[in-house]
Amino acid sequence: MAQDCGRQYERVAEIGGGAYGTVYKARDRQSGQFVALKSVRVQTDQDGLPLSTVREVALLRRLEQFDHPNVVKLMDVCATLRTDQETKVTLVFEHVDQDLKTYLNKAPAPGLPPERIRDLMHQLLHGLEFLHSHCVLHRDLKPENILVTSRGQVKLADFGLARIYSCHMALTPVVVTLWYRSPEVLLQASYATPVDIWSTGCIFAEMFRRKPLFCGDSEVDQLRKIFDVIGLPPEEEWPADVTLSRSIFIPVSPRPITKCVPEISQLGADLLKEMLTFDPLRRISALNALSHPYFQEG
Amino acid sequence: MAQMSFCDSRPADLHKKEKRAPLRTWANACIPKERRPPADSDETRGGHCKAEPERRWVRTRLPVSAEDGIIMDYAEQQGAVPTGLCGREEVALLLCLRGLHSLQVLVPSLLHHEMEVTMEKLGLIYDKTYAWDIFSDMMRNQSQYTFPSAELPRPFTDSTRAILVDWLIQVHEVFHFSEETLYLAVHLLNRALRQIKVSISNLQLLGVVCLFLAGKKEECLLPEVSELCYLMENGYSKKQLLRMERRVLCELKFDLSHCPPLHFLLISASIARCSDKVVWMARYLLELSLLESQCVVFQPAELASAALCLARRVLQEPPTPEGETAWCIASSLNVCSEPTRQRIMQILAVAAARAEGQDTRASLIKFSTAETLHVSSHPALRSAPHLLGLHCPPTRAQMREGAM
Repeated sequence: MAQDCGRQYERVAEIGGGAYGTVYKARDRQSGQFVALKSVRVQTDQDGLPLSTVREVALLRRLEQFDHPNVVKLMDVCATLRTDQETKVTLVFEHVDQDLKTYLNKAPAPGLPPERIRDLMHQLLHGLEFLHSHCVLHRDLKPENILVTSRGQVKLADFGLARIYSCHMALTPVVVTLWYRSPEVLLQASYATPVDIWSTGCIFAEMFRRKPLFCGDSEVDQLRKIFDVIGLPPEEEWPADVTLSRSIFIPVSPRPITKCVPEISQLGADLLKEMLTFDPLRRISALNALSHPYFQEG
Repeated sequence: MAQMSFCDSRPADLHKKEKRAPLRTWANACIPKERRPPADSDETRGGHCKAEPERRWVRTRLPVSAEDGIIMDYAEQQGAVPTGLCGREEVALLLCLRGLHSLQVLVPSLLHHEMEVTMEKLGLIYDKTYAWDIFSDMMRNQSQYTFPSAELPRPFTDSTRAILVDWLIQVHEVFHFSEETLYLAVHLLNRALRQIKVSISNLQLLGVVCLFLAGKKEECLLPEVSELCYLMENGYSKKQLLRMERRVLCELKFDLSHCPPLHFLLISASIARCSDKVVWMARYLLELSLLESQCVVFQPAELASAALCLARRVLQEPPTPEGETAWCIASSLNVCSEPTRQRIMQILAVAAARAEGQDTRASLIKFSTAETLHVSSHPALRSAPHLLGLHCPPTRAQMREGAM
């Protein structure tokens, strides 16, 4: 019975406190399979479950029908009433032991071989293209929520959750990493699918460097670190109606990306530059990235 | 079940509602506006040339015949080679025309074009390059919205279900919900009836919750829970309603996807250039299918195709060459087997002929307005089963006579 989420799944360990609450590793008492439980408490007023939650979860369920190899499986959903004002929605995902962060840390000394990186990137973009073609944004892509199975299969996790959690987020004072955030998000301009491509670019570079590309400690600092590499964008590309003015940044010209990522091939560098393009409308799409010559090389 | 007395409290202006754009909800179904794909037209659309010459269907003497023996071709109205052509498809089309290959080569690209235009017109897509993909997806996935058997778990019967659906049609109209919401609500009800154990006294509550959830998925404006309770004469409390909502969501595992037969109907009707009257008639017949338990075993596209065929049969509009040709093109989308279509048409014909004598008259009233071209009161409907070689059910008056 779906309602008995608590009883059907036995918690085994705390996997981590994501920005949106604690995630548990649990065992399905029936199948013995491990799962990841993500719960979110949503405010329920007199009109029941909020429209946004109903729609978002329904969308995740719909994506499930496509059974995409590079997207983590949503196995079950249930809603339980906690108090009159609060309902707990628990999403039950397939459990994958390893994320990209640990995978990169575990790689022996010179780092991942270039062919491995190409394969990981291809899978990552494949999953992203699927989400984007269904109008789902990830918004918070980072090595921690890119899962890598023991057979090297990439699975995206935590996509589309941002909206479900948004009402809850204010209540959890956790530091959300800025390192993979795109300039338009940092500037609080409007954003869409290109934000995920930016994050993918940062992760692409990190696979070679084995350390993050831009490690800012505030929005402005993050932007400064970005401009140090890609150069300060021209005035006409600066988004209108954002609070941060372009003039507070020192004009710098772009540095060759290979300075930061020396191990990358010429075609790889070319793709990376397309992903780390300031203007979201000119940034490469997941679909086009997949047909980039980088993936034909070698 | 609480009393179904809602009919009496219908506001007088119920049928004078403003005209709504069809299918508007596709855009807001599930997809918050800010998530639409960005207009990165540079790569995807920039290369396309917008200027398209006017085209029309003409009869020619090509050696390949389409369904019904009508031979067709696609011709440019402006004669030889229009200057505005630059897209790849157009070039391919011209090559086809020059070489006069078989229609089998030609029809797919014609259909492609028709599909793009139609789905864009209906507001089903943002970007017409995806029209065919989306339609193929609809075709491929539709079978998951059917049920293996029409049988309902006890104690529910076809007639209790019909009364409930009829009431939901009325409530849905009061709130000015879109038709997609209604089709989704009835689909959720069909699933819930089979999956959730509810007592017959909670059946109405289950129905209203299905409509409420469908509204949450499809609509921008939602009624308050208290309004819904009021419509059920406060037979249930708000708390009961919200508990049922949670229960339905959990048991259906939040899966609220559906592919309404209405979308197939509107796509086919638009490609087939059907008259407004035919479309309204088909919509009425399709809505009648919601009350028929036996229709749950058919695929949405099959129901749509049967409703449209029957509407044409009933109305008997004089054929025009353009109309017949367009009908043929639309027919090539059809995957419905002839026996299945006949079977559905028979069900719908009997339902339409019977409608006036029934207690469940919500659709009959809904489609009797001037806005819907009075289709439900069309005299030919009463003898619709005759058209299919069936006996007509006796009318109320005849039954009364018989009883005397």
